[in-house]
Amino acid sequence: MDKKFARRISGAALAAAAALALAACGSSGSSGGGSGSGGTTTLKLVVADYGTGPSNASAKYWDTIVSAFEKAHPDIKVNVTSIAWTNFDSEVQTMIQNKQYPDITEGDYFSNYAQDGLLYPASDVLSNPGNLLPAFKAQGTYNGVQYGMPFTTSSRTLFYNKKLFTQAGIASAPQTWAEIQADAAKITRLGDVGFGLPLGAEEAQAESLLWMLGDGGGYQTAGKYTINSAPNVAAFTFLKGLVSAGDTEPNPGTVNRTDLWKEFADGKVGMINGSPALIPIIQSAGVLQSSDWTSVPIAGKTGPLTTTLGVCDNVAAFKPNGHAAQIKQFLDFAYQDKYQLAFDKEYDLLPATTTAAKALSTDPVFGPFLTALPNSVQYPSDTAWANVKAKVQQTIGLAVTGSPSTELSQLQQIATTAS
Amino acid sequence: MILALRRLAPLMWLSPAIALIGVVVLWPVVVLVQSSFQQIGGEGFVVGYNGTANYVNLFHEPDFVSVLLRTVLWVVAVVGVTVLLSLGLAQLFNQRFPGRRVTRWALIIPWAASVMMTALIFKWALDPNVGVVNVILHRIGVVRQLGSNQADWLGNPTSALIWMMGVAVFVSLPFTTYALLSGLQGISRDVYEAAAIDGATSWKSYLRVTLPLLRPAILVATLINVINVFNSFPIIWEMTRGGPGYETSTSTIYMIDLKESDVGQAAAMSVFNFLLVIVIVLVYLSTTRWKEQVG
Repeated sequence: MDKKFARRISGAALAAAAALALAACGSSGSSGGGSGSGGTTTLKLVVADYGTGPSNASAKYWDTIVSAFEKAHPDIKVNVTSIAWTNFDSEVQTMIQNKQYPDITEGDYFSNYAQDGLLYPASDVLSNPGNLLPAFKAQGTYNGVQYGMPFTTSSRTLFYNKKLFTQAGIASAPQTWAEIQADAAKITRLGDVGFGLPLGAEEAQAESLLWMLGDGGGYQTAGKYTINSAPNVAAFTFLKGLVSAGDTEPNPGTVNRTDLWKEFADGKVGMINGSPALIPIIQSAGVLQSSDWTSVPIAGKTGPLTTTLGVCDNVAAFKPNGHAAQIKQFLDFAYQDKYQLAFDKEYDLLPATTTAAKALSTDPVFGPFLTALPNSVQYPSDTAWANVKAKVQQTIGLAVTGSPSTELSQLQQIATTAS
Repeated sequence: MILALRRLAPLMWLSPAIALIGVVVLWPVVVLVQSSFQQIGGEGFVVGYNGTANYVNLFHEPDFVSVLLRTVLWVVAVVGVTVLLSLGLAQLFNQRFPGRRVTRWALIIPWAASVMMTALIFKWALDPNVGVVNVILHRIGVVRQLGSNQADWLGNPTSALIWMMGVAVFVSLPFTTYALLSGLQGISRDVYEAAAIDGATSWKSYLRVTLPLLRPAILVATLINVINVFNSFPIIWEMTRGGPGYETSTSTIYMIDLKESDVGQAAAMSVFNFLLVIVIVLVYLSTTRWKEQVG
């Protein structure tokens, strides 16, 4: 894998949580909109913020689309609410619990909403749902009908600080767990953090899965939860060893990804699993030159992973306000190739439609990744996942200080009860 | 006829207040209790009557007992330390000294500032790498290395809890001190003069005169603090989110977390919290024989 590709090998949209931006707290107070006088319909669009600051906030991206759209459709107004990634799930959930339904969300999608009959099928709100990348169809499907519509896609890689590697006398990138441990120990001796392991509540489910995959594990086997499987326990036993040797930051179970990425950008962390969303953070910190860091496939137990965590963020269209026709007009407009490509350019992510992917397929950077995307591993898509994910985020960090098998078994029990 | 209307007149004046209490206080309690017996999923849909299953599940949560014990510890420690410190502060502010007016005003700041803001400031000050607390402790040699386990106060459940209790005391001090100060100002000078004539030392007159006469003020300040601190949410939420796991969660934080997956069970937790506060208050009132004090 050549360096340039490796560096930009696309990254999780989830990852884009880079904007912990406090400013982005969305309001949950406004009503779901409706038909005003003169036959104007107001759509409430709720989006996650992928930006790292005000200059590239996602509200800006959507405002461009919305103002062009409102010009073409004077009878429809679109109100954009953008929410920081850390709060996105719970704020959308609060809106729904309080029956203040949005019309469209873009961010995480949960099949629970489809199960409760809150969503329009993709075929009702998109003229050409067949254009969505087929690789992510299963994740948005409930009972054979697609509800979640991928909007942006990405995956994870291992970033490392070449400067620290040279100082510590390490010649090549780590490919196995054993090498991770040895390299982390050497970097720790320099007084820096060897391996950055964010197992705090923000995104512990992603970091955990990357390690589970290392020994052939994962959250599910053949559609059934197997969180306490032997490979998963092995992965967390390895991590526990890494933590107790002091080769990670202190208390990984309390550390969030956004904070740790900033420390990597400040040159204080040797290795960390990241996504392209980390690149703008490194650049804006201005500490590391582009020759000081690089990214490679994630290390597994005996060799680098051949598959990686593929993540897509979804659009969901909500039924309760009854705006199917207007939603369809807006989504057809927003899913145009030019807006897909603009999004990917802004946030270093990948497109989610076949035509946009085709437009990028000759791109030396994105092209190879797009061919690899269909083989990526994804999160579970069943209705239990929303609960399981919340519990994993809160408690899986205890598995690297307490007993891995006990903690994973508790999560398994929750997952079994929830399914 | 007119007489009857006259009798009803007070009711007319009282009705807005009664309506307000009914809608804002009583109605939510009714809905809360009702929800705790219903099966309600994460999307807020009522699936149906759930009997006592929410309570049974709640009591069987593996973290339930430890969360409760921690809540008790949190309340007792925070309120206890707050009242003790406030007794001292109130005494100080009751003395005449230059700048008394300014310092009395300054005391209001921790109270006036948003608790969430205060919690965030402390969180940043405790950052293991660049937090001002750690940088100072590092300079004077207490923290040997920045970014180490030792500097990560909020990562270790025990030290995190102690720091958060400190913040809770900090934000509770102003109200408590003002309440006690007003109590102190209500004690007549004559009593102290009489005590002095009877040969009481200043320590003795504090124990025998000040404290007994201050009891109503202490009682009210403690009660209000107990209720506030028991339900306190922003400090823990901002500083640790109850983590790692639930190891720094109190019952309020735990309830918020339950709400994400099971609204019914979260309601059961709230009802339990509500009953617990009532019990604590009743026990406190009966042991302090409040009627003799306040009545």
